[in-house]
Amino acid sequence: MKKTTKSALAVAGSVALVFGAVVSSEAQAAPKQVTLAFQGPLTGTDAQTGQDEILGAKTAIQIFNDSQSNYKVNLISVDDQGEGAVAGTVAPGIAANKAVIGIIGPAYSGASIASFPSYKSSGLTMVSPSATRVTLTDPKSPDNGYPFFHRVVGNDALQGPAIVRWAVKGLTSPKLYVIDDQTPYGTGLRDAANAYITAQSYTKVGSDSVAQKTSDYSATVAKIKASGATAVIYTGYYPDGGALAKALNDGGWKGQFVGGDGVLNDAYIGVAGKTAAEGTKFTAPAVPFEVAASAAQQAAFTKATGLKTAAGHVYVTETFNAANVFLDCIKLGKTSRAGIQACVATGTFKTIDGKPILKFTRLGEVIGGAPVGGFQVVGGVIKYFGAV
Amino acid sequence: MNFSVVTSQFWSLIVSGLALGFIYVLISLGYTMVYGVLRLINFANSEIFMVGTFATVVVSRNFYKFNQNTDPLHGTKLVLVLLSFLLASMLMSGITAVLVELVAYRRLRAKGTNRLASLISAIGTSIVLQEGVRILTHSTPWSNPRVIRKYDVITFGKTGIRNDILIVLLFAAALYFAIDRFVSKTLLGKAIRAVSMSEETSRLMGINLNRVISATFFIGGITTGAAAFLYETVYENTKYNVGFAIGLAAFTAAVLGGIGNIRGAFYGGLTLGLLEVFIAAILGTQWKSVTVFVVLVLVLLFKPNGLFGEAITQSRV
Repeated sequence: MKKTTKSALAVAGSVALVFGAVVSSEAQAAPKQVTLAFQGPLTGTDAQTGQDEILGAKTAIQIFNDSQSNYKVNLISVDDQGEGAVAGTVAPGIAANKAVIGIIGPAYSGASIASFPSYKSSGLTMVSPSATRVTLTDPKSPDNGYPFFHRVVGNDALQGPAIVRWAVKGLTSPKLYVIDDQTPYGTGLRDAANAYITAQSYTKVGSDSVAQKTSDYSATVAKIKASGATAVIYTGYYPDGGALAKALNDGGWKGQFVGGDGVLNDAYIGVAGKTAAEGTKFTAPAVPFEVAASAAQQAAFTKATGLKTAAGHVYVTETFNAANVFLDCIKLGKTSRAGIQACVATGTFKTIDGKPILKFTRLGEVIGGAPVGGFQVVGGVIKYFGAV
Repeated sequence: MNFSVVTSQFWSLIVSGLALGFIYVLISLGYTMVYGVLRLINFANSEIFMVGTFATVVVSRNFYKFNQNTDPLHGTKLVLVLLSFLLASMLMSGITAVLVELVAYRRLRAKGTNRLASLISAIGTSIVLQEGVRILTHSTPWSNPRVIRKYDVITFGKTGIRNDILIVLLFAAALYFAIDRFVSKTLLGKAIRAVSMSEETSRLMGINLNRVISATFFIGGITTGAAAFLYETVYENTKYNVGFAIGLAAFTAAVLGGIGNIRGAFYGGLTLGLLEVFIAAILGTQWKSVTVFVVLVLVLLFKPNGLFGEAITQSRV
């Protein structure tokens, strides 16, 4: 072998070794740690909602971490108890934590409003799975979260008409009675429902506004009975909705009780009792995870949460979708707050069925809206009846 | 304003208002008796109520193993089960009240600290109790399985009185009058009244002050526990913060009637119950709190001792 050939081989060998070492070291390099936060009610009377939702985030992150090795996404949970007053105290701490690059949440509208000042000032992008108050994306409202707030669900402008349609379905000459719980969510959904009732010329025979944590609903029951209402639409959350449904049933009222997504929860049946809960209708811009997910996603759910099935847990699909918005951006190498914000605002993301159809308007709404599902308690179990 | 509901549902509203009012009366007794002897507001009384509600639910779910599918009970079995709920609720609330006195008040009182320290101590105890139960229950509402089939036992015109409401009306009234008699007639009752009039003189007369104060807390606790049992019989739900709103209302009732005065708690509780129900019916529930507190402020402006304070000062505990 000529000397030059030997030299060439030696160089080539060295290059190959160095290249191999580099490739090998890249393959074995520790994945980059990235942190997302889930924010919702994890304690407090509405804890069930947050505890349900976080299951979707854990599942999406489980799938992501298992499917690639460049990034390791960690999830921290932020408990705002679903209350603005609490959210206003926890949000500054999360905003100050530079490791957090995105918020899956907030879950509730009132908590979202209270969190906006902290997240907007620190450039922290939010993708909510369930905050549906219209004003959150209304540029004319002082409550808006523009440009950092986004949501993967349809807002109450869509749910308001849907809850009325679902309430009157099957009723002849319906007489509607509308009750809210005085929260930003409850009053927002009430207004959207009232607007649709007026637009469709349905008969509304009364209304009431009952604060959360009320124990005694006897006056409200008396008014509903006196009004001759055949359907009650309640825009609030399940702990109070359940107590109201029980009071109506015990008071001898025999109409149709209908709640929004705040009431849609398995715990509602426990609070209302089996008899009062039976037949209750709900609407929610949500699709049950066990309906929407593939077998592989269901398996990942079990691996991530230790639960056999997502049945009975609300907003799991939507939280899964919200988490995937961030995860798709991280996969593209966006691991700073600014990078995430630019990616979320302009990108197109896959929903749970794998279709790349999720894209946000400039104000943070889902382009093309999102379906609102109808649910009902049948035989002591909440069943999904498709879009309404 | 909706006056038509008053004409069509008048007696129904009266019955509801009285039932709510009687629950307030029993909780108010917890506030008013303690205030009578110590001149302090026991802010932990709302949590003593909460503990009572959980005692009922725990006995129902864990001891009897009742659940949402349990069929309602009848006859003697129903009476015995309800009595056991009542006993559990009253005992747990009574014991909790005595412990609150020991922890939050006694030592501070012995050290001669000012009233503000006791007030803060009571609020602290209240928060500890509430948060403790919140952690134990994972913040979830607990529903109480239905053991009593609810139906109208008395009907007049369009108005019916349900059996659970009738239990509230009769039992609460009986317990109130029993407590009233007890404080007026028994030796311990007289000792409680003596301490409420003058601690120093009572001590000189040989009254064991600590024993009397503990007894007062216990009696206030068992009336609050009885209210918790009645609340569970009607509403069948509880949660860690169940005592907040109802405790505030009962405290308002005590002030409205004349705090420190057993009969004031009676009149204040019933007045507040009726006022709340009628305001909610006529003006809308959203106006209930505003109107109640406007009424309270107006009453105190003209009658600082409460609505019935002056007329029945001799009944002070």
